[in-house]
Order: sequence, then structure tokens, then C-alpha cells
Amino acid sequence: MTQTPEIPCIVFDDVVAGYKDFMILNNLSFQVRKGSITLLLGPNGAGKSTVLKTLFGLLKPQQGRIALDGQDITGASQTDLLARGIAFVPQGRNLFPQLTVWQNLELGGITLGAKTTHERIPEVLEFFPRVKERIHSQASALSGGEQKQLEIGRALLLRPKVLLIDEPSIGLSPILVQDVFKLLKRLASEGTTVLMVEQNVKSALKIADDAIALESGRLVLHKPAGELLSDPHIERLFLGGAAPKAA
Amino acid sequence: MADFFQLLFSGLATGSIYALAALGFTLLWQASGTINFAQGEFVMLPAFAMLAFASFGMPMPLSFFLTIVLAIAVLGWAFKRGIVDPLFRYGMMQIVVATIGLSIAMRNGVRLTGAEAHPFPSLFADRIYNIAGVTVTQSDIGTLVLAMLLVIGTQAFLARTITGRAMQAVAQNTESASVLGINVPRMIFYTFAINAILACAAALLVTPVYLAKFDMGESLGTKAFFAAVIGGFNNSRGALLGGLIVGVGENLAAAYVSAAYKDAVALALFMVVILFKPQGLLGRKEERKV
Repeated sequence: MTQTPEIPCIVFDDVVAGYKDFMILNNLSFQVRKGSITLLLGPNGAGKSTVLKTLFGLLKPQQGRIALDGQDITGASQTDLLARGIAFVPQGRNLFPQLTVWQNLELGGITLGAKTTHERIPEVLEFFPRVKERIHSQASALSGGEQKQLEIGRALLLRPKVLLIDEPSIGLSPILVQDVFKLLKRLASEGTTVLMVEQNVKSALKIADDAIALESGRLVLHKPAGELLSDPHIERLFLGGAAPKAA
Repeated sequence: MADFFQLLFSGLATGSIYALAALGFTLLWQASGTINFAQGEFVMLPAFAMLAFASFGMPMPLSFFLTIVLAIAVLGWAFKRGIVDPLFRYGMMQIVVATIGLSIAMRNGVRLTGAEAHPFPSLFADRIYNIAGVTVTQSDIGTLVLAMLLVIGTQAFLARTITGRAMQAVAQNTESASVLGINVPRMIFYTFAINAILACAAALLVTPVYLAKFDMGESLGTKAFFAAVIGGFNNSRGALLGGLIVGVGENLAAAYVSAAYKDAVALALFMVVILFKPQGLLGRKEERKV
């Protein structure tokens, strides 16, 4: 008896994408397993964030095909992608600073309708006790770590099948980074596929299942994260290790 | 003392109309980074539209309703699609110049139909009340109450409804709003539509006093702009405060300094605020993105 191969959660097939005449992703192809944490790594300008933006419909591919659970989503609108279960936490500050924590969460569920959103907000807040305590505070009054937690919480309201997260550790203390990584690990264990870009590569590889390395928008490596962590060449190329000096 | 309170009250009534127009400035600025220097003409045009509908024998409420529909289409949708959207990518200065050009075009376009002032029916009876020695007109009371209700109603809509919050979200962080699935173009259009509705309401309240004339929006637009800056361009409550300060300030200056300086009050207050609190009385300091 032959086993049916598992359909990958995300498929990039020969994707070319970028800005106007400047293409950042060049014939990029890769697959992401369901329920895995996949780390995108590579030097600056390799196209890591562009992968997330293209997957979330912020950039339209000029060529190629993107699939989610076997269904073509190339060029789909963000509303459609949200409805299909893709949530995106971009790099940087993404809150509405003059609105309260509750109002920020409420807007996170704007595609769900008020009833569902209000039912889910308490569930999401259970992940973030510090944010829960400050539910009526203005988002701008939260610390950097709390703000990032709120951003992730807002994305979780959608109960996403796929969570795209760009540089979650920026501006966070090492303890808070570990909290965020633990949360991502927990989400993946509950079936959410996480595709992450993270500058803190060593820590991220420890929680990741797979790693995809890009260079000039092309795939240069796709391996289990554990193997990558112990590979000295990869450390030199992507983890900031010193290059061996010539004698 | 009775004179002072009388001046204060009529100043508040005038100021509330400035606040309506100033609120339009702040809404457009927050939602789309647009400064509309044709805001005064956006009040003048509905006044003429209402008179045109009324000239066909339509009652004033129906004329007002039809004017609102027309204003949403022309001053809301067409203004956004025809001027703001195409110029947005080139920066704010281009939009500013375009709206100055638009104001000149609108003023002179209406002037082609005649330069004379047309009387405009007032919503309120010509009654005078004496309250504790202070004489106030029904028109002042009605104008103040209606304008305040509109400003407070707009703020309540923005603060208490999910659509209003989504509009605020777009104003505060457009990219994030888009990522959450908020329909950004629609929210920006709603802002333009609300501005058009407020302009119609301001026309209804101000035209009985100013009379419908091609240049009636010139001074109103300038004072509303000053009021918005004084209150804080990025705060809709600031528009209300700025409008009332300008209205009261120019009334008091006309009575206690000289009527000749009345129109200079808004400019003087504007300059003081720009020098000492450039973000406005209720405005927030904003970081400039590089």
C-alpha cells in the first residue's frame, strides 16, 4: 500500500516578484510543511521579507505560482488571504497608537464580524496576561514587548492556519524574545504553520523545524533547522561568524 | 458684563461653524494627508446647490438632502478620485497647490453665474431672548446647538463605531490597517464623504448670515484652516476648540479693540500657536518619517 504524500501547506513555484522593474525574488521555488516553523534567512536584500509580502498579497508576482494547501492563491487579495487563514505580522510597529488595546484587537477581527471577534478576544488574551491587564490602555502606552505581543495577539484572533511573522524580536529584551519564540512553538504544536524572518538567527533556529536560505532572491539551501545550526559554513555565511583568514 | 456674555455667546455660535469646517480639515489630513485649501468653497458650493434646488420649488429639507447626495458625489468622490488620488504619490505640496487652484476655479466658476449676493432662508426664527440680562438670538442658539451636535456626533461616530475606529486606524497606520483586511480606500472615501456632509451643514448654518455669494467661502476657509492649526491638525477635538477660540476671539476683538482688526485675530492666534506650540493646543507631536 502506497502512502499518499502530504500536500505542503505553502508552495512557491518559480516566483518572480519585486517592485516595478526591480525584481527581488528571482524564480524562487520552495515548499513549507504544515504545522512547521520555517525560518527564512539570508543576507540583507536577499528577499526574506519580500517572500512574506508576496505570500500575503502585498506584492503581486510577475511570474510563477503560489499555493496554499494545494489551492492556487497567486495574486489573491489580502481579504481573500485572511479568509483563507493567512495572518501577517509585519516588521516594526504595527499598532494603532491612539486606540486602546481592546480597540486594536477588535480591528484585528474586522473580517470576522463583531460577535466572533468579541468571543475570541478573551481567548487570545489568555496568551498574554500582561496585555490583558492593560486592556483599556492606549496601545502607545504599552512597552515594546507588550506591543509586539498585542500585534501577535491581533493576528491570532483569526485563528490562522499560516502565521507570517517578520522580525518578531526587534526591540525586545532577550527574555521577551524567548516568550515570543515559546508562543510560536506552541502555535506550531497546535497546527499553525509559521513562516518567520528573524535576525536573531541562532535563537530562531533552535525553535524552527526547517530553514530556507535565500541569496539575491534565489533559494540556496533548504534544510532541517537542526542541521543548519551545526553547519560551520552556514554559520559563517548567515549567522555572522568570522571568515577563516588566509595564512 | 452682559455685553461680554452676549459677545461670548455669539462668538461661540460663529466659532462652532468654523469648527465644522475645521473638522473637515483635520479629518482629511488624518485620513489621507490632504490639506484642502478649497474647504471654504466646499461650503459655498452646497449653498448655491440648495438655492438651485429650491428654485425648482423643492422644500428646503429636500433641497438639503439632494445637496448632500450631490456633495458626496462631487466634493467627496470626484475630489478624491480626480485630484487627491492622482497627486498623492507626488507629495502634499502638489495637493495643496491643486486645492488652491480648485478654490479659485470654483469661486470664479460660480462668479460666472453672477457676482451678487443671494439671500438664504434661515433655519431659525428671528427671535430674541433675554436670559439673565444677556440678549441672545434664536439663530445663535440654534447654530451653536446644531453645529456642536454635528461635531460631537462626528467624534462619537469615529470613537464608538467599528467603522469610525477603522477610519482612525487608517489615519494612524495605513499599512497595518491594510494587513488586517480593513478596506483602506473605502475608509478614506468615507472621510471625504463626511467632510462633504459637514460642508453642507456649515453652508446651511452660515449662508443666512454671510449670504450666498461666490466669495463667501474665502474668509470661512481661511479661518477654519487657522482654527484647525490652533486646535491641533491631528486632533478632531482640536478643531472644535480652535473654531470656538477663533469665533470668540474675533468677536471680543471687534468689540473691545476695533472692528477693523476682527479678521486679524485668527491670523494672530495662528502665529502665536505656530511659534510656541506648533502641534496645536490639543495636537500631538508627530515624528517625521524619512
